[in-house]
Amino acid sequence: MPASDLRPPVLAWRLYSVWHRHMRVYTRNLISNGLPPFLEPLIFLLGVGIGLGRYIQTMDNVPYIVFLATALPMTSAMFTASYECSFGTFVRLQFQKAYDGMIAAPVTVHDLFVGEILWAGSKGLFFSACVVLVMSFFGAIPMPLGLVAVPIGFLTGAMFGALALLVTSFVKNINHFNFYFTGFLSPMFFFSGTVFPLDSLPRALRPLAEILPLTHAVRLNRSIAMNRLSAVLLADGAFLIVVTLVAGYLAIRRLRRRIVV
Amino acid sequence: MADAVIVFDNVYKSYRDVKAVAGVSFDVASSTCFGLLGRNGAGKSTIMRLIYRKAERDPEPRGTVSVFGFDPQVDELEVKCRSGVVPQDDNLDEELNVSQNLRVFARLYGIPARRAELRIAELLDFMELREKANASVRELSGGMKRRLVIARALLNEPRLLILDEPTTGLDPQVRHTIWDKLRQLKRNGLTIMLTTHYMEEAFQLCDDVLILENGKAVLRGNPKQLLSSHIEPYVLELTDVNLAPRTIERLPAGAARVEHSDESVRVYATDYEVLKTVADLLPPGDHHLRPSTLEDVFLKATGRRLDARQ
Repeated sequence: MPASDLRPPVLAWRLYSVWHRHMRVYTRNLISNGLPPFLEPLIFLLGVGIGLGRYIQTMDNVPYIVFLATALPMTSAMFTASYECSFGTFVRLQFQKAYDGMIAAPVTVHDLFVGEILWAGSKGLFFSACVVLVMSFFGAIPMPLGLVAVPIGFLTGAMFGALALLVTSFVKNINHFNFYFTGFLSPMFFFSGTVFPLDSLPRALRPLAEILPLTHAVRLNRSIAMNRLSAVLLADGAFLIVVTLVAGYLAIRRLRRRIVV
Repeated sequence: MADAVIVFDNVYKSYRDVKAVAGVSFDVASSTCFGLLGRNGAGKSTIMRLIYRKAERDPEPRGTVSVFGFDPQVDELEVKCRSGVVPQDDNLDEELNVSQNLRVFARLYGIPARRAELRIAELLDFMELREKANASVRELSGGMKRRLVIARALLNEPRLLILDEPTTGLDPQVRHTIWDKLRQLKRNGLTIMLTTHYMEEAFQLCDDVLILENGKAVLRGNPKQLLSSHIEPYVLELTDVNLAPRTIERLPAGAARVEHSDESVRVYATDYEVLKTVADLLPPGDHHLRPSTLEDVFLKATGRRLDARQ
């Protein structure tokens, strides 16, 4: 066998190769994985269009459908990234032992999970883009500003990916993720200014809503899409990034102990 | 040793109160096959994991691990890019097919796409998996999965191949095929380190073996030399313990060593004729006179009884 240049790949390549693994697995079932992100907003539109929309015409001075459509890309990104890095990661970690295989190649545990967070971000980006595409087709999203959901979808996906990894690092039994989904993500869907503005919350509860990560993603996206720029948005953007970094750092530290024994 | 690929010096590794590896030192020479033997829980897999930083050694007492001159805990990538790892479980990506599994790993090793395709074709041929290139991993038999994992470990043309129980649970045909492949790789200069429970495997492949017991090295050497220097060459096995008393009383004093287990007795001797004489006087069946094997050396070194870790 010919001798080859045995040099470890550089960081960017290592992250890309981990990302590429997830991409290959995801695109292998293109129809079952690629259709739902388009169907979900359609079902939502249908529900609002023939039901809810007849009772609520406007919300926060914009048509209700627009109000919803500027939050929906973020909730979609949130859910896909959360599933990927909770159930998905747990299965890879505990059942498939996929990381045990990958870690034998020249990648570190750090590379594995940074790559995974980038993948969660990419899924967030893809899901947000699907929602924007469908919604804009029905005129529910102001264009071209509504396209901002695509990059913000990436940030939102990465943030919820990192948070889900942190949760995963504590979970020993896969059923425990139900607490995270029904106890944290589902309530957040309603109390982050997604379906009604935060102003309608009781004054005492408003600071609480500011702690919820989704609040910042939705406000950032909706404000830019509707051209209501303000300084608060800088704080929202910073919130997404800081939470991603802190949750990601802690998650990797903890998950490392599950892999390197 | 100048051309040692792996050097362990006084390495400890504990899991809570259990010392999985307790002060192990050894070295593996380049282009040789080194085997770790020992019961379940003796520390074999832990040593394998320490080589590619799947595990980290205890900071105290101080020990060192060097692989290609690199400490895996400092330069893990340098170690990994020169090594191929076949873990105990076939951790293949079940969601991908055979060649996709290899492609994903070629990517991880940083092999350019075009070269990867050539290398994958070459390895599928080498491991006799060409017809299965597009098969789903779920369709593969145990032997095919194992060969695929070995192919995956060879993608980067490693200088060191680490195999944790490469043929456990496989049928004799597959086992012999894998042995032939490993011999071929060794002849081409690859350094191989493996763990096994099959003494026959160690005897067939290894230039050097290390027998571990409770995390400590108890015996080290070339299998053939261990066989000639650590055990009597012949053994009479009695699988009916009732035959033992009359067999033993017929033996000349000091001519044989007797080992008892619950349902069998083994009589070891240097002189074949001594054993042959007593064996001929026994009724046919329930006894067998044979040359000693590495398994006899192993059982002598580590004892016949189960211990708490097994």
